[in-house]
This record gives sequence, C-alpha cells and structure tokens, in this order.
Amino acid sequence: MIVSKSFRWSDPRSIFAMAAALVLGFSAQARSDEGVLDTLQMHGFLSQALIITDDNNFFGPSSESQGSLKFTEIGANASLRPHEDVLLAAQVLSRRAGGDGSDARPVLDYGVVDYQMLSNQQRTFGVQVGRFKNPFGFYNQTRDVAFTRPSILLPQSIYFDRTRSLALSGDGVSLYHDERLSRGSLRTQIGVGQVQAGDDLRQTLRLDSVPGSLDPKRSAIGQIRYEHDGGRIVAAISAASANARFNSSMPGLSDGDFYFTPWVLSLQYNAENWSLTGEYALRNSGLENFNNPAFNFDVTGESWYVQYTRRFDENWQWLIRYDHLISNRDDRSGEAFEASGAGPAHSQFAKDMTLGLQWNLNPRVMMAAEYHHVNGTGWLPIQDNPDPSETSRRWNMLLFQLSLRF
Amino acid sequence: MRRLSLLALATVMLLIGLSPVGASTIAREAEILLVAHPDVNTRQLNRDTTRAIFAMRQRTWPDGQAVRVFVLDNSHPVHARFAKEQLTVYPHQLQLAWDRMVFSGTGQAPDRVRNQAEMRERIAATPGALGYLEREYLDDRVQVISME
Repeated sequence: MIVSKSFRWSDPRSIFAMAAALVLGFSAQARSDEGVLDTLQMHGFLSQALIITDDNNFFGPSSESQGSLKFTEIGANASLRPHEDVLLAAQVLSRRAGGDGSDARPVLDYGVVDYQMLSNQQRTFGVQVGRFKNPFGFYNQTRDVAFTRPSILLPQSIYFDRTRSLALSGDGVSLYHDERLSRGSLRTQIGVGQVQAGDDLRQTLRLDSVPGSLDPKRSAIGQIRYEHDGGRIVAAISAASANARFNSSMPGLSDGDFYFTPWVLSLQYNAENWSLTGEYALRNSGLENFNNPAFNFDVTGESWYVQYTRRFDENWQWLIRYDHLISNRDDRSGEAFEASGAGPAHSQFAKDMTLGLQWNLNPRVMMAAEYHHVNGTGWLPIQDNPDPSETSRRWNMLLFQLSLRF
Repeated sequence: MRRLSLLALATVMLLIGLSPVGASTIAREAEILLVAHPDVNTRQLNRDTTRAIFAMRQRTWPDGQAVRVFVLDNSHPVHARFAKEQLTVYPHQLQLAWDRMVFSGTGQAPDRVRNQAEMRERIAATPGALGYLEREYLDDRVQVISME
C-alpha cells in the first residue's frame, strides 16, 4: 500500500483511507496481542511565529507595520511496533510559510514500514519502505519541528525554502546501517525513490509561467555519519541526486530535465553546555535538454555556516551564527547576473549574521526570539518578493516564536 | 550563661543534624545499575549497545527480544547521572536524539516514569523492559544487567 507509486499522498482522501486502514490494522492486531497496543505512541507539535522586517518580506507581509504571523507549523504522528523487528510510523504536517491558507493543507510528511532485520551488540541493519525523510545535513529530517532546531530559522543558506519540496522526503526504499566501533559509531543511510517537485521548485526554476508539468523522477540520497565518544564529535557527509522532468505543453518548446546534486559536509563538537557546529555545501543544479537554449543552465552554488550555541541556567540557550550563501560560484558578487539584465546583483548572495535565544519554560513549551542582519537576498522567498528589483540589499529581521508539543 | 550553652548545644545539634543530609547526599551518589525484566536472557551489555538502546536506535535485545526502555525525567538527578556516567552522553543530547527519531519516523520515544519506585514496578511488569535504578531500589522482581 505504502510503496504504490501512483498513490496520491497529497490527496486528503488517500490520507484518510490510509489512516483508516492503519487504525483497522492496528485494532485487529491489538485484539490478537495486547502488548502491541502498548507500543502505540502519538506525538505532535505546534509553532507560531511573528516575523518583523525593515525591508523585504519573509514568510508573509513582514515589512508592514504589524509584521507577519504567516509562519505556522503543526504536525502529529503515530508509531507502533506490531512485531519486535517492525516499526510503523506516519506523520501529517500542516505548514504555512507566507502563503495563503491553502498553503497549510495537511500533507503526509512521512509514512514508513521500518524493518530491522539485524540487530546485535555490533551492528544494526534495517530498511524503510514508504515515504521516508531525507537524511541531509544535520537538520533536514526534522526541519519543521521547532524543538529540534537550534534557532527559529535553520541556516537558510542550506535549509532554504526555494527547493524545500525536493529536500523533504522520498517515496521509495531507504536502507540504514549502524556499525559500533571501538570509540564511536558509524551510521550509513541510502535512499532511492521519487522526490517531491512542488510549486516552490517550479517558481525557483522560473518555469511557473511556462505551460506544462514538472514531474519527479527517480532520485537518490545518502549519508555517512560518524559519532565519536557518545556524540562529543559528530561528522557527516551527505549527497543527493534529485531529478525531475518538465513536460512542456508550450508550442515549440521541447521537454527538459532538471537535476540537482548537492553535497554537504557537517561537523559538530558537543560539550556539556555548548556546541560548535559548521556545515559546508556545494549545490550543483541545472536544466538541460530544452530545445530553446535560453531555458538550459548549469550553476553551482556554495553555502556554509558556523554556529555556536551555549546553554545556561538549565532551560535557556543562546546562539550566534554566521551563514553565507553564494548562488553561483562563477559569479560570487552577482555582477555578471546583473549585467545580463536578469536581476539585481544582491539576489545572488546572502550573508546572514544571527543572534538567537531559546527558553524552555517546561518540557512542552518553548519560546524563542532571534535577530538577523542580512546582506543580500539570495534565499529570500520569491513568492513574498515577486519583483526582485524592489528588494533591498541590506535588511534586518526579528522573529518571535512560541512552540508547544505533546 | 546556661542559655548560651543551650544555644551552643542547639547549634551544634543543628550542625550535626545537617550532617545526615550531607550523608544522604553522598548516599544519593550511590551506584546506578542497569535493570531489566527478569525474563530477559541477556546478562551483559557493552556500553555502545546500551547507549544505542537508550538512544532508541536499537530496538531489540541482542537475542532478538523487543526492548522497552524506561527513563526518569531529564531533570531527575539519577537520570542525569546515568546518562553522563554510564552512557557518557548529556541528557539534552539524549532528548534531542529522541526528538529526532520521533519526528522523522525513525524510532520511538522511551517510556517516562516519575520516580525509581515506579521504574522498578514498570520494569518488573513489562517483558523486555530495560531501565536503571540505584542499588537501594532493587528487589528480586527485577534483574541487574552488567555493563562492560
């Protein structure tokens, strides 16, 4: 059921059908074995932010006097272990990030059957089938859950919204392997499946006004992660190859192919009360095979950040981060881009200095505030700023967020 | 004068009276042991496996039986000591690991108990259970698992 490629996850009826099937399946199981229902867990979260900018809009009309409240994340999940080697887990997510209400339509975030075929003192090996979360960098798998983020916004140079749908999850098969070494553990994950190719991607590729459809093709993602000494040092390398085909219905324009091959190197040092984190990404992407060469392109972007977080007084944490995005390594200043008439130079980079504060009032409630000073608009959402020539190069942003969970 | 000496005596007694508190603080530093349901066949776990089980990455005992993990609140001193001393991870790292599992579909959260008495009851009543207790909370309904 979950592997079926024609299954329409985004269709609410499908979600309902699946939920009903799972509940029926669960209750049938539960009758046969009371212990199974003991393993049922349900969790959820809700986050609401207020965003205020002096210039440019981020997730809604943030530069207007009242700021923007259009950043809301709501999720709920359930998991169950019907057998000692099997985990069933699914999460529904509703996320609004600047768009109108339809943005917040609930979608299936993940839905997997996880089978751990080998598990002993030396290693664990398992497989996930269904819609699995992509292991990419340190934060991608839970990027929408405020409690797992060090700040309200993740470093946008790597976790930006423009190609969010591509990064989120895959529909297919993912294998994972945990090997315990003398001083640490090595975790490898490889996933193959279809990515999501949403409207965000089409807009980013400037194909939103071209008649046709952008359809996902087979893609792959992999991560190798080493944790030393109980997680004091964590190092990871992630790579992905995401693909989609644009089926043109514009007279005279052929079909074309989209490719995206990002690499991320991640490093973290954890002490009792502070962590130092850095990630570096190279993002190669392009369109090819269009008969009109004006559509084809190939660029490599570069992203990195360095982040220091400090815990204090048990329930507080502050953060300082420098985050740097270059859209095209061959045109770091964006001058060639501007000279070509495509848009302002400052849309080709973003240098973001962030200060943040988090307060866990109790294990279920968190409040956070942060300040960004940004030079460049490289990751500014296009839907919030339809005319790039009207954006300001230097801008400031304040965010406040309340998060709850159960 | 007599009053003064009474006061002095009272002060001394108060000071002495404080010392059992000090002693119990030391007693609270008592050894924390890995504890399991009596039917569990595994007698010994290495530290990496123990850590993987408490991080909820490994879901079964080495012989294949499903494991059910019980923990005290993050703010409980026994939990903090167990995490730091036995697993060599910080409680907030464990919490983050659980959150990442729970919200990415890669695992479940451990079961929470309020205190060690409840920990003992739940472990005794749950097949495959694993938790931890200070020695004084042990009884014959649970078994101690040694950690290499």
